[in-house]
Amino acid sequence: MDSILECRNLTKYYPGCLALNSINLSIPKGQIVGLLGPNGSGKTTLIKLINGLLVPTSGELLVNGLKPGVESKKIISYLPERTYLNDWMNVQNMIDYFGDFYENFNKAKAYDMLQRLHINPNNRLKTMSKGTKEKVQLILVMSREAELYVLDEPIGGVDPAARDYILETIIGNYSENASLIISTHLIEDVEKILDGVVFINMGNIVLTSTVDDIREKENKSVDALFREVFKC
Amino acid sequence: MLSKLMKYEIEATQRIFLPLYGLILIFALINKVFLKFNMNNMSGISAVPFGITIVVYCLLIAALMVMTLVVTIQRFYKNLLGDEGYLSFTLPVPAHSHIDSKMIIALMWNIVSLFVSLLSVFLLAINENNISNFSQFCMEIGTFFSQYGAAAYLLLLELIVLLVVSVLQVILQIYAATTVGNLSGKHKLLTGIGAYIGFGVIQQIITSILMNFGHGLTNNWVDLNRFFTGLTDLQALRYVMWGIFGLIVNAAVFGAAFYFFTNWMLTKKLNLE
Repeated sequence: MDSILECRNLTKYYPGCLALNSINLSIPKGQIVGLLGPNGSGKTTLIKLINGLLVPTSGELLVNGLKPGVESKKIISYLPERTYLNDWMNVQNMIDYFGDFYENFNKAKAYDMLQRLHINPNNRLKTMSKGTKEKVQLILVMSREAELYVLDEPIGGVDPAARDYILETIIGNYSENASLIISTHLIEDVEKILDGVVFINMGNIVLTSTVDDIREKENKSVDALFREVFKC
Repeated sequence: MLSKLMKYEIEATQRIFLPLYGLILIFALINKVFLKFNMNNMSGISAVPFGITIVVYCLLIAALMVMTLVVTIQRFYKNLLGDEGYLSFTLPVPAHSHIDSKMIIALMWNIVSLFVSLLSVFLLAINENNISNFSQFCMEIGTFFSQYGAAAYLLLLELIVLLVVSVLQVILQIYAATTVGNLSGKHKLLTGIGAYIGFGVIQQIITSILMNFGHGLTNNWVDLNRFFTGLTDLQALRYVMWGIFGLIVNAAVFGAAFYFFTNWMLTKKLNLE
Protein backbone atom coordinates (compact mmCIF):
# COMPACT_ATOMS: atom_id res chain seq x y z
CA MET A 1 0.00 0.00 0.00
CA ASP A 2 1.11 3.56 -0.73
CA SER A 3 2.13 5.52 2.30
CA ILE A 4 1.36 9.18 2.92
CA LEU A 5 4.20 9.50 5.40
CA GLU A 6 7.50 7.66 5.36
CA CYS A 7 10.30 8.20 7.89
CA ARG A 8 13.64 6.45 7.51
CA ASN A 9 16.17 6.69 10.34
CA LEU A 10 14.79 10.14 11.06
CA THR A 11 16.87 11.88 13.72
CA LYS A 12 16.59 15.33 15.23
CA TYR A 13 19.08 16.74 17.71
CA TYR A 14 18.50 19.98 19.54
CA PRO A 15 21.54 21.36 21.35
CA GLY A 16 21.89 19.08 24.37
CA CYS A 17 18.81 17.00 23.61
CA LEU A 18 17.92 14.14 21.30
CA ALA A 19 14.32 14.79 20.24
CA LEU A 20 13.90 11.99 17.69
CA ASN A 21 16.10 8.92 17.82
CA SER A 22 16.44 7.42 14.35
CA ILE A 23 12.77 6.59 13.91
CA ASN A 24 11.30 4.48 11.12
CA LEU A 25 7.64 4.96 10.44
CA SER A 26 5.23 4.40 7.60
CA ILE A 27 1.66 5.67 7.66
CA PRO A 28 -0.66 4.31 4.94
CA LYS A 29 -2.93 6.57 2.94
CA GLY A 30 -6.58 7.12 3.81
CA GLN A 31 -6.31 6.55 7.55
CA ILE A 32 -6.85 8.54 10.71
CA VAL A 33 -3.82 7.99 12.87
CA GLY A 34 -3.32 9.16 16.44
CA LEU A 35 0.19 10.28 17.32
CA LEU A 36 0.14 9.65 21.04
CA GLY A 37 2.70 10.23 23.71
CA PRO A 38 3.37 12.11 26.92
CA ASN A 39 4.57 15.70 26.98
CA GLY A 40 8.05 16.14 25.54
CA SER A 41 7.97 12.78 23.77
CA GLY A 42 8.81 14.19 20.32
CA LYS A 43 5.29 14.54 18.88
CA THR A 44 5.57 18.20 17.99
CA THR A 45 9.12 17.75 16.69
CA LEU A 46 7.91 15.07 14.29
CA ILE A 47 5.00 17.28 13.22
CA LYS A 48 7.29 20.24 12.63
CA LEU A 49 9.57 18.04 10.52
CA ILE A 50 6.58 16.89 8.45
CA ASN A 51 5.66 20.53 7.80
CA GLY A 52 9.18 21.64 6.96
CA LEU A 53 9.37 23.91 10.01
CA LEU A 54 12.49 22.02 11.10
CA VAL A 55 15.27 20.35 9.16
CA PRO A 56 16.21 16.80 10.27
CA THR A 57 19.70 16.25 11.65
CA SER A 58 19.89 13.03 9.65
CA GLY A 59 17.63 10.52 7.98
CA GLU A 60 14.81 11.04 5.56
CA LEU A 61 11.17 12.06 5.66
CA LEU A 62 8.80 11.82 2.68
CA VAL A 63 5.24 13.10 2.46
CA ASN A 64 3.44 11.34 -0.35
CA GLY A 65 6.90 10.65 -1.80
CA LEU A 66 7.91 14.32 -1.59
CA LYS A 67 10.64 15.83 0.54
CA PRO A 68 9.34 18.68 2.72
CA GLY A 69 9.24 21.80 0.57
CA VAL A 70 6.95 23.97 -1.52
CA GLU A 71 5.28 20.95 -3.21
CA SER A 72 4.65 19.07 0.05
CA LYS A 73 3.23 22.20 1.68
CA LYS A 74 0.58 22.38 -1.05
CA ILE A 75 -0.89 19.04 0.02
CA ILE A 76 -0.54 19.28 3.81
CA SER A 77 -3.07 21.18 5.90
CA TYR A 78 -1.52 21.87 9.28
CA LEU A 79 -3.07 22.98 12.55
CA PRO A 80 -0.35 23.96 15.04
CA GLU A 81 -0.92 23.87 18.77
CA ARG A 82 -0.93 27.66 18.96
CA THR A 83 -2.78 30.48 17.24
CA TYR A 84 -0.92 31.67 14.20
CA LEU A 85 -3.52 34.08 12.83
CA ASN A 86 -2.44 37.59 11.80
CA ASP A 87 -4.24 39.57 14.48
CA TRP A 88 -4.69 42.71 12.37
CA MET A 89 -7.02 40.80 10.03
CA ASN A 90 -10.66 39.91 10.38
CA VAL A 91 -11.97 36.41 9.62
CA GLN A 92 -12.88 37.33 6.07
CA ASN A 93 -9.33 38.63 5.39
CA MET A 94 -7.99 35.37 6.74
CA ILE A 95 -10.23 33.37 4.38
CA ASP A 96 -9.05 35.47 1.43
CA TYR A 97 -5.48 34.92 2.58
CA PHE A 98 -5.89 31.14 2.61
CA GLY A 99 -7.73 31.31 -0.74
CA ASP A 100 -4.86 33.31 -2.25
CA PHE A 101 -2.12 30.95 -1.20
CA TYR A 102 -3.73 27.50 -1.20
CA GLU A 103 -5.28 26.33 -4.46
CA ASN A 104 -7.18 23.59 -2.63
CA PHE A 105 -8.91 25.99 -0.23
CA ASN A 106 -12.71 25.86 -0.42
CA LYS A 107 -14.13 29.26 0.57
CA ALA A 108 -17.77 28.20 0.44
CA LYS A 109 -17.04 25.43 2.92
CA ALA A 110 -15.29 27.87 5.26
CA TYR A 111 -18.19 30.35 5.24
CA ASP A 112 -20.62 27.50 5.78
CA MET A 113 -18.75 26.23 8.84
CA LEU A 114 -18.43 29.76 10.24
CA GLN A 115 -22.16 30.19 9.97
CA ARG A 116 -22.82 26.92 11.75
CA LEU A 117 -20.50 27.92 14.57
CA HIS A 118 -22.08 31.40 14.71
CA ILE A 119 -18.85 33.25 13.99
CA ASN A 120 -19.25 36.58 12.21
CA PRO A 121 -16.72 36.78 9.32
CA ASN A 122 -16.38 40.54 9.88
CA ASN A 123 -15.11 40.15 13.44
CA ARG A 124 -11.55 41.23 14.06
CA LEU A 125 -9.32 38.40 15.29
CA LYS A 126 -7.84 40.70 17.92
CA THR A 127 -11.17 40.93 19.73
CA MET A 128 -11.84 37.18 19.78
CA SER A 129 -11.39 34.82 22.69
CA LYS A 130 -8.71 32.14 22.48
CA GLY A 131 -11.31 29.42 22.00
CA THR A 132 -13.00 31.25 19.12
CA LYS A 133 -9.64 31.84 17.46
CA GLU A 134 -8.93 28.11 17.71
CA LYS A 135 -12.26 27.35 16.09
CA VAL A 136 -11.53 29.81 13.25
CA GLN A 137 -8.16 28.20 12.77
CA LEU A 138 -9.66 24.72 12.66
CA ILE A 139 -12.25 25.89 10.10
CA LEU A 140 -9.49 27.34 7.91
CA VAL A 141 -7.45 24.15 8.13
CA MET A 142 -10.39 21.82 7.50
CA SER A 143 -11.67 23.90 4.56
CA ARG A 144 -8.66 22.88 2.53
CA GLU A 145 -9.08 19.84 0.34
CA ALA A 146 -5.69 18.50 1.34
CA GLU A 147 -4.16 15.06 1.04
CA LEU A 148 -2.76 15.06 4.55
CA TYR A 149 -4.17 16.88 7.55
CA VAL A 150 -1.80 17.26 10.49
CA LEU A 151 -3.57 18.41 13.63
CA ASP A 152 -1.45 19.15 16.69
CA GLU A 153 -3.62 19.10 19.85
CA PRO A 154 -6.80 20.15 18.02
CA ILE A 155 -8.99 19.76 21.11
CA GLY A 156 -6.51 20.73 23.80
CA GLY A 157 -7.86 24.23 24.33
CA VAL A 158 -11.61 23.69 24.21
CA ASP A 159 -14.09 22.52 26.82
CA PRO A 160 -15.24 18.86 26.82
CA ALA A 161 -18.66 19.82 25.45
CA ALA A 162 -17.14 21.42 22.39
CA ARG A 163 -14.70 18.53 21.80
CA ASP A 164 -17.25 16.20 20.28
CA TYR A 165 -18.46 18.95 18.03
CA ILE A 166 -14.93 19.69 16.87
CA LEU A 167 -14.17 16.02 16.25
CA GLU A 168 -17.36 15.81 14.20
CA THR A 169 -16.22 18.85 12.26
CA ILE A 170 -12.91 17.15 11.59
CA ILE A 171 -14.46 13.87 10.53
CA GLY A 172 -17.22 15.54 8.54
CA ASN A 173 -14.92 17.77 6.55
CA TYR A 174 -11.78 15.96 5.68
CA SER A 175 -11.63 15.00 2.04
CA GLU A 176 -12.23 11.43 1.02
CA ASN A 177 -9.05 9.41 0.52
CA ALA A 178 -7.16 11.96 2.58
CA SER A 179 -5.11 11.00 5.60
CA LEU A 180 -5.20 12.52 9.03
CA ILE A 181 -2.59 12.62 11.76
CA ILE A 182 -3.83 13.80 15.13
CA SER A 183 -1.47 14.42 18.00
CA THR A 184 -3.02 14.57 21.44
CA HIS A 185 -2.85 13.30 24.96
CA LEU A 186 -6.65 13.37 25.35
CA ILE A 187 -6.88 9.81 24.08
CA GLU A 188 -10.29 8.87 25.34
CA ASP A 189 -11.87 11.70 23.39
CA VAL A 190 -10.29 10.87 20.04
CA GLU A 191 -10.17 7.09 20.38
CA LYS A 192 -13.48 6.51 18.64
CA ILE A 193 -12.39 8.17 15.40
CA LEU A 194 -8.93 6.60 15.08
CA ASP A 195 -7.98 3.83 12.64
CA GLY A 196 -4.45 3.46 13.90
CA VAL A 197 -2.12 4.67 16.62
CA VAL A 198 1.55 5.52 16.92
CA PHE A 199 2.91 5.58 20.47
CA ILE A 200 5.96 7.76 20.85
CA ASN A 201 8.14 8.27 23.90
CA MET A 202 11.48 10.00 24.48
CA GLY A 203 12.12 10.22 20.76
CA ASN A 204 11.41 6.58 20.03
CA ILE A 205 8.44 4.88 18.39
CA VAL A 206 7.17 2.52 21.07
CA LEU A 207 4.30 0.93 19.20
CA THR A 208 2.41 1.16 15.93
CA SER A 209 -0.86 -0.67 15.59
CA THR A 210 -4.39 -0.51 14.28
CA VAL A 211 -7.05 0.27 16.84
CA ASP A 212 -8.87 -2.98 15.94
CA ASP A 213 -5.75 -5.01 16.75
CA ILE A 214 -5.42 -3.37 20.13
CA ARG A 215 -9.05 -4.12 20.95
CA GLU A 216 -8.95 -7.70 19.67
CA LYS A 217 -5.50 -8.91 20.67
CA GLU A 218 -4.97 -6.96 23.86
CA ASN A 219 -8.63 -6.69 24.67
CA LYS A 220 -8.07 -3.14 25.85
CA SER A 221 -9.03 0.36 24.85
CA VAL A 222 -6.30 2.58 23.42
CA ASP A 223 -6.58 4.71 26.52
CA ALA A 224 -6.00 1.75 28.81
CA LEU A 225 -3.05 0.53 26.74
CA PHE A 226 -1.56 4.01 26.76
CA ARG A 227 -1.79 4.17 30.54
CA GLU A 228 -0.10 0.80 30.76
CA VAL A 229 2.72 1.58 28.33
CA PHE A 230 3.47 4.99 29.75
CA LYS A 231 2.97 4.12 33.39
CA CYS A 232 5.01 6.44 35.56
CA MET B 1 3.21 34.24 -5.16
CA LEU B 2 5.66 37.09 -4.50
CA SER B 3 3.06 39.64 -5.57
CA LYS B 4 0.49 38.09 -3.18
CA LEU B 5 2.98 38.19 -0.31
CA MET B 6 3.74 41.80 -1.14
CA LYS B 7 0.03 42.64 -1.25
CA TYR B 8 -0.46 41.34 2.30
CA GLU B 9 2.77 42.96 3.44
CA ILE B 10 1.45 46.34 2.27
CA GLU B 11 -1.93 45.71 3.92
CA ALA B 12 -0.25 44.83 7.20
CA THR B 13 1.94 47.94 7.24
CA GLN B 14 -0.13 50.66 5.59
CA ARG B 15 -2.33 50.95 8.69
CA ILE B 16 0.63 52.49 10.46
CA PHE B 17 2.19 54.60 7.71
CA LEU B 18 -0.77 56.17 5.91
CA PRO B 19 -2.28 57.88 9.00
CA LEU B 20 1.19 59.10 10.00
CA TYR B 21 1.79 60.55 6.52
CA GLY B 22 -1.62 62.26 6.64
CA LEU B 23 -0.93 63.78 10.06
CA ILE B 24 2.50 65.05 9.02
CA LEU B 25 1.14 66.80 5.94
CA ILE B 26 -1.82 68.25 7.89
CA PHE B 27 0.46 69.62 10.62
CA ALA B 28 2.84 71.04 8.03
CA LEU B 29 -0.10 72.94 6.53
CA ILE B 30 -1.38 74.11 9.93
CA ASN B 31 2.07 75.44 10.80
CA LYS B 32 2.26 77.11 7.44
CA VAL B 33 -1.01 78.93 8.10
CA PHE B 34 0.34 80.12 11.47
CA LEU B 35 3.54 81.29 9.83
CA LYS B 36 1.71 83.12 7.12
CA PHE B 37 -0.59 85.16 9.34
CA ASN B 38 1.51 85.71 12.43
CA MET B 39 4.96 85.98 11.00
CA ASN B 40 5.81 89.40 12.40
CA ASN B 41 3.75 89.78 15.54
CA MET B 42 4.11 86.43 17.20
CA SER B 43 4.97 86.90 20.84
CA GLY B 44 3.69 86.04 24.28
CA ILE B 45 0.41 84.18 24.48
CA SER B 46 -0.31 84.32 20.74
CA ALA B 47 2.79 82.20 20.12
CA VAL B 48 1.53 79.27 22.24
CA PRO B 49 -0.70 77.55 19.64
CA PHE B 50 2.03 77.80 17.02
CA GLY B 51 4.57 76.53 19.53
CA ILE B 52 2.40 73.49 20.16
CA THR B 53 1.73 72.67 16.51
CA ILE B 54 5.39 73.02 15.53
CA VAL B 55 6.44 70.70 18.37
CA VAL B 56 3.78 68.18 17.30
CA TYR B 57 5.04 68.39 13.74
CA CYS B 58 8.64 67.71 14.84
CA LEU B 59 7.49 64.81 17.03
CA LEU B 60 5.56 63.34 14.10
CA ILE B 61 8.64 63.46 11.88
CA ALA B 62 10.65 61.76 14.65
CA ALA B 63 7.86 59.19 15.10
CA LEU B 64 7.93 58.44 11.38
CA MET B 65 11.66 57.70 11.48
CA VAL B 66 11.30 55.48 14.54
CA MET B 67 8.24 53.67 13.15
CA THR B 68 9.96 52.96 9.84
CA LEU B 69 12.69 51.16 11.75
CA VAL B 70 10.34 49.48 14.24
CA VAL B 71 7.99 48.19 11.54
CA THR B 72 10.93 46.79 9.55
CA ILE B 73 12.09 44.77 12.55
CA GLN B 74 8.65 43.89 13.90
CA ARG B 75 7.16 42.61 10.63
CA PHE B 76 10.14 40.32 10.09
CA TYR B 77 10.25 39.09 13.67
CA LYS B 78 6.53 38.68 14.32
CA ASN B 79 5.46 37.34 10.94
CA LEU B 80 8.34 34.91 10.44
CA LEU B 81 9.91 34.08 13.80
CA GLY B 82 6.90 34.51 16.10
CA ASP B 83 3.66 32.49 16.22
CA GLU B 84 2.63 33.79 12.79
CA GLY B 85 5.70 32.02 11.43
CA TYR B 86 3.80 28.73 11.76
CA LEU B 87 1.50 29.97 9.02
CA SER B 88 4.07 31.91 6.98
CA PHE B 89 6.43 28.95 6.72
CA THR B 90 3.70 26.45 5.87
CA LEU B 91 2.53 28.51 2.90
CA PRO B 92 3.66 26.87 -0.33
CA VAL B 93 6.33 29.48 -1.06
CA PRO B 94 10.12 29.26 -0.74
CA ALA B 95 11.67 31.03 2.27
CA HIS B 96 13.42 33.62 0.11
CA SER B 97 10.02 34.91 -1.12
CA HIS B 98 9.29 36.01 2.43
CA ILE B 99 12.59 37.90 2.59
CA ASP B 100 12.01 39.38 -0.88
CA SER B 101 8.51 40.63 -0.15
CA LYS B 102 9.38 42.10 3.25
CA MET B 103 12.56 43.72 1.93
CA ILE B 104 10.84 45.31 -1.06
CA ILE B 105 7.95 46.70 0.98
CA ALA B 106 10.28 47.99 3.72
CA LEU B 107 12.31 49.74 1.00
CA MET B 108 9.12 51.20 -0.42
CA TRP B 109 8.06 52.68 2.94
CA ASN B 110 11.56 54.06 3.54
CA ILE B 111 11.47 55.89 0.23
CA VAL B 112 7.87 57.11 0.61
CA SER B 113 8.63 58.28 4.18
CA LEU B 114 11.63 60.25 2.90
CA PHE B 115 9.51 61.74 0.13
CA VAL B 116 6.65 62.70 2.50
CA SER B 117 9.08 64.29 4.98
CA LEU B 118 10.70 66.36 2.23
CA LEU B 119 7.31 67.32 0.85
CA SER B 120 6.14 68.48 4.30
CA VAL B 121 9.29 70.59 4.79
CA PHE B 122 8.76 72.05 1.34
CA LEU B 123 5.11 72.87 2.14
CA LEU B 124 6.13 74.42 5.44
CA ALA B 125 9.03 76.47 4.16
CA ILE B 126 7.90 77.73 0.81
CA ASN B 127 6.43 81.24 0.64
CA GLU B 128 6.43 84.28 -1.68
CA ASN B 129 9.86 85.40 -0.45
CA ASN B 130 11.83 82.25 -0.96
CA ILE B 131 10.01 80.81 -3.96
CA SER B 132 12.38 82.81 -6.18
CA ASN B 133 15.37 81.33 -4.33
CA PHE B 134 13.97 77.90 -4.91
CA SER B 135 13.42 78.46 -8.60
CA GLN B 136 16.95 79.82 -8.84
CA PHE B 137 18.24 76.67 -7.14
CA CYS B 138 16.34 74.58 -9.68
CA MET B 139 17.83 76.64 -12.51
CA GLU B 140 21.34 76.13 -11.18
CA ILE B 141 20.79 72.40 -11.10
CA GLY B 142 19.56 72.70 -14.69
CA THR B 143 22.76 74.53 -15.64
CA PHE B 144 24.84 71.84 -13.96
CA PHE B 145 23.10 69.18 -16.01
CA SER B 146 23.51 71.04 -19.30
CA GLN B 147 27.16 71.79 -18.51
CA TYR B 148 28.21 68.22 -17.76
CA GLY B 149 25.62 66.41 -19.86
CA ALA B 150 25.69 62.63 -19.63
CA ALA B 151 28.12 62.65 -16.69
CA ALA B 152 25.67 64.66 -14.55
CA TYR B 153 22.79 62.31 -15.31
CA LEU B 154 25.02 59.36 -14.53
CA LEU B 155 25.93 60.96 -11.20
CA LEU B 156 22.25 61.44 -10.37
CA LEU B 157 21.53 57.84 -11.31
CA GLU B 158 24.45 56.69 -9.15
CA LEU B 159 23.17 58.63 -6.16
CA ILE B 160 19.69 57.11 -6.52
CA VAL B 161 21.15 53.60 -6.85
CA LEU B 162 23.40 54.24 -3.85
CA LEU B 163 20.40 55.32 -1.77
CA VAL B 164 18.37 52.24 -2.74
CA VAL B 165 21.22 49.76 -2.28
CA SER B 166 22.28 51.28 1.06
CA VAL B 167 18.73 51.16 2.46
CA LEU B 168 18.40 47.54 1.29
CA GLN B 169 21.70 46.67 2.89
CA VAL B 170 20.60 48.08 6.25
CA ILE B 171 17.26 46.23 6.01
CA LEU B 172 19.02 42.95 5.24
CA GLN B 173 21.53 43.55 8.02
CA ILE B 174 18.56 43.97 10.40
CA TYR B 175 17.01 40.72 9.10
CA ALA B 176 20.27 38.81 9.51
CA ALA B 177 20.75 40.19 13.03
CA THR B 178 17.13 39.35 13.96
CA THR B 179 17.53 35.71 12.89
CA VAL B 180 20.75 35.47 14.91
CA GLY B 181 19.03 37.08 17.91
CA ASN B 182 16.25 34.51 17.65
CA LEU B 183 18.74 31.68 18.21
CA SER B 184 19.26 32.94 21.72
CA GLY B 185 16.68 31.57 24.11
CA LYS B 186 16.43 34.36 26.67
CA HIS B 187 18.12 37.50 25.36
CA LYS B 188 16.77 37.76 21.83
CA LEU B 189 16.78 41.55 21.66
CA LEU B 190 20.24 41.92 23.20
CA THR B 191 21.73 39.21 20.99
CA GLY B 192 20.05 40.78 17.96
CA ILE B 193 21.51 44.22 18.67
CA GLY B 194 24.88 42.63 19.36
CA ALA B 195 24.70 40.75 16.06
CA TYR B 196 23.79 43.95 14.21
CA ILE B 197 26.78 45.79 15.66
CA GLY B 198 28.99 42.74 15.06
CA PHE B 199 27.99 42.62 11.38
CA GLY B 200 28.79 46.34 11.12
CA VAL B 201 32.25 45.85 12.64
CA ILE B 202 33.02 42.92 10.33
CA GLN B 203 31.92 45.00 7.35
CA GLN B 204 34.16 47.91 8.38
CA ILE B 205 37.18 45.69 8.92
CA ILE B 206 36.79 44.03 5.52
CA THR B 207 36.14 47.35 3.78
CA SER B 208 39.20 49.04 5.30
CA ILE B 209 41.43 46.08 4.45
CA LEU B 210 40.24 46.21 0.85
CA MET B 211 40.79 49.97 0.70
CA ASN B 212 44.37 49.58 1.87
CA PHE B 213 44.93 47.15 -0.97
CA GLY B 214 43.78 49.95 -3.32
CA HIS B 215 45.83 53.10 -3.57
CA GLY B 216 44.92 54.06 -0.04
CA LEU B 217 44.06 57.52 -1.21
CA THR B 218 40.69 58.01 0.39
CA ASN B 219 42.09 57.49 3.88
CA ASN B 220 43.87 60.81 3.92
CA TRP B 221 42.01 64.07 3.46
CA VAL B 222 45.11 66.15 2.79
CA ASP B 223 46.24 63.81 0.04
CA LEU B 224 42.73 63.75 -1.28
CA ASN B 225 42.57 67.52 -1.40
CA ARG B 226 45.93 67.78 -3.16
CA PHE B 227 44.84 65.09 -5.57
CA PHE B 228 41.68 66.94 -6.54
CA THR B 229 43.33 70.38 -6.84
CA GLY B 230 45.26 69.40 -9.91
CA LEU B 231 42.22 68.13 -11.78
CA THR B 232 39.72 69.76 -14.09
CA ASP B 233 36.08 69.72 -12.92
CA LEU B 234 35.16 66.94 -15.29
CA GLN B 235 38.13 64.80 -14.17
CA ALA B 236 37.20 65.40 -10.53
CA LEU B 237 33.60 64.44 -11.27
CA ARG B 238 34.81 61.19 -12.81
CA TYR B 239 36.76 60.32 -9.67
CA VAL B 240 33.80 61.16 -7.48
CA MET B 241 31.65 58.90 -9.63
CA TRP B 242 34.12 56.05 -9.29
CA GLY B 243 34.10 56.62 -5.56
CA ILE B 244 30.29 56.38 -5.41
CA PHE B 245 30.42 53.30 -7.62
CA GLY B 246 32.75 51.75 -5.04
CA LEU B 247 30.26 52.52 -2.27
CA ILE B 248 27.44 50.94 -4.30
CA VAL B 249 29.46 47.77 -4.91
CA ASN B 250 30.39 47.62 -1.23
CA ALA B 251 26.76 47.93 -0.06
CA ALA B 252 25.57 45.47 -2.72
CA VAL B 253 28.14 42.81 -1.79
CA PHE B 254 27.40 43.02 1.93
CA GLY B 255 23.65 43.25 1.30
CA ALA B 256 23.85 40.07 -0.78
CA ALA B 257 25.86 38.35 1.96
CA PHE B 258 23.22 39.25 4.57
CA TYR B 259 20.47 38.09 2.20
CA PHE B 260 22.00 34.65 1.63
CA PHE B 261 22.87 34.30 5.30
CA THR B 262 19.27 35.09 6.35
CA ASN B 263 17.87 32.70 3.75
CA TRP B 264 20.20 29.95 4.93
CA MET B 265 19.19 30.53 8.54
CA LEU B 266 15.48 30.48 7.69
CA THR B 267 15.70 27.28 5.65
CA LYS B 268 18.26 25.24 7.61
CA LYS B 269 18.28 26.64 11.14
CA LEU B 270 14.65 27.62 11.60
CA ASN B 271 13.38 26.67 15.04
CA LEU B 272 10.09 28.28 15.93
CA GLU B 273 9.13 28.13 19.57
